[in-house]
Amino acid sequence: MRVQLALFASLSQYLPEAAAEDRVSAHAQMVDLPDGTTVGQVITTLGLPDEPRIVFVNGRHAPDEHTLAEGDRLAIFPPVAGG
Amino acid sequence: MPYPARPAPAIEEYADLRARLAPARVGIVGLGGLGSNIAWMLVRAGVGTLVLADHDRVDASNLERQFYFADQVGLPKTEALSANLRRITTATRLECFQTHVDESNLRELYAGIDVFVEAVDTAHDKAMLVAAASEQLPGVPIVAASGVAGYGSPNDVITRHLMGEVWMVGDLVSEVSAEHPLFASRVAIAAGHQAHMTVRILLGYPEA
Repeated sequence: MRVQLALFASLSQYLPEAAAEDRVSAHAQMVDLPDGTTVGQVITTLGLPDEPRIVFVNGRHAPDEHTLAEGDRLAIFPPVAGG
Repeated sequence: MPYPARPAPAIEEYADLRARLAPARVGIVGLGGLGSNIAWMLVRAGVGTLVLADHDRVDASNLERQFYFADQVGLPKTEALSANLRRITTATRLECFQTHVDESNLRELYAGIDVFVEAVDTAHDKAMLVAAASEQLPGVPIVAASGVAGYGSPNDVITRHLMGEVWMVGDLVSEVSAEHPLFASRVAIAAGHQAHMTVRILLGYPEA
């Protein structure tokens, strides 16, 4: 299945290599995933650091157990401390 | 040049815009450098109701950047901030909760708000609160902040429509540390961004 993956700020370095036609923006691209892949499996496969992150699928928060579907938009943002 | 007999159209329009903020109900979690300053900006803008929550008390070190005064050290932040906001005007309704906000009480505390403002300190709490607000307050815009520390350029602090109902203020990377402390000026810039994006959303202009 095809999913749009967006990795913001310091996480953008974890975007996999992508063909030009798969790039959506500087921090987002289309990726091919096996059917039934969960959010947590994507995070593990990419090797994202074990730090706080905001995970949204199609504009709403999604837990690691969430199973992705064709055409989903997965976005991950790493907030940093200070306020 | 004589004064016009009646207010200029632009001023009438401004009065109308302020009036449109009077029915608004904005929730702020965290009353530190971001939240305490966002609160006074929204009070002065004419927002009708603020729901304010923080478990903490005013510490002497907070006076470097937060909207408190030396004689308020030791008071709950909710109590001290209420007193300071009421010195500006008593027209704003304030609903204050001296408590830690998390998944267990967010929905109850912030029911019926029009905008949720994340203004806490730690990365863990920021992630937890944005997730909880997205789940428990569906459709409510979330104005959050990340990357407000240090002496980096003021122009790197911007507002982005990040994803879904989330607007994110900051340079996204400047984490608070010994080398990058929180300066009143840069934190206030971020607070201004958060307060102003809140005003824009309330007026129907959701573009960052």
